[in-house]
Amino acid sequence: MKHSVNRPPTPDEDDASEGFEKDEVTLREIINVKLVESGEKENLMELVRDRLVECGWKDEMRIACREHVKKKGRKDVTVDELIRVITPKGRASVPDSVKAELLNRIQNFIVSAAL
Amino acid sequence: MSGADGNKSSHTELSSQVFLDLVDSVIADVASECHRVARLGLDRDLEVVEEELRLSVEARAKVADPSNNLETNTKFVVDIFGQTHPPVASEVFNCMNCGRQIVAGRFAPHLEKCMGKGRKARAKATRSTTAAAQNRYARHSPNPRYSPYPNSVSENQLASGSPGVADEDCTNGTVRENVKGG
Repeated sequence: MKHSVNRPPTPDEDDASEGFEKDEVTLREIINVKLVESGEKENLMELVRDRLVECGWKDEMRIACREHVKKKGRKDVTVDELIRVITPKGRASVPDSVKAELLNRIQNFIVSAAL
Repeated sequence: MSGADGNKSSHTELSSQVFLDLVDSVIADVASECHRVARLGLDRDLEVVEEELRLSVEARAKVADPSNNLETNTKFVVDIFGQTHPPVASEVFNCMNCGRQIVAGRFAPHLEKCMGKGRKARAKATRSTTAAAQNRYARHSPNPRYSPYPNSVSENQLASGSPGVADEDCTNGTVRENVKGG
């Protein structure tokens, strides 16, 4: 069966037999699509950005980036490298209040999307 | 798994994943921004920052130095071409309205009086009739004049004589209007 290169697997055509996990992946995609279509994803993004800036998280990340850049030298850094460096720290250092707020909103959305 | 609990757990997990997605996007944004700043050298390096700090301290010391005349220090700054600009423009040139020699730094106040834009000057101008003023402006275009005296003389005469009649140009010296009968 031919698959176009970039197309994500759809449930009907794909051969993968990991039923439950695959369902989740698909579910995630469906959610994503719904988020984008309704505009809620944009709202959430803006909310996340605002909150993370307010609480100084972004500044912390930028400092971490700068440290890494200083170590590695200005010319050698790549974006991927920076992402790799700050992702674990970034994910861990999101304030609980921000996380709770976002999760709440996302859950409300999922529920209201009747999934 | 069935029932509300099952749904809830998958919901929580789902929302966690969505949340992580969002955070990852923001992280990617930050990383990309920092990368750009780093590569373009926009964010000053530690050494550069230190040097700039040193330079600014030096500059501040120079400004605060009491041995320098403060006024000259602030005004006699050198621009990027190495020119200095004195605080009061000192060049002398001729006013295009009245033709007198004016110091450039005093040109604006001079113009106020000269062209009748200031309060006192305008009050003076309205003493002669508005028609005379209109005539003066009308006659300005054909013949630019450089000395005030024939102007004011003719104005006065017109004011006393017939206003709004003369089209004659007075700078030629022939004031035909007011030499009645010859």
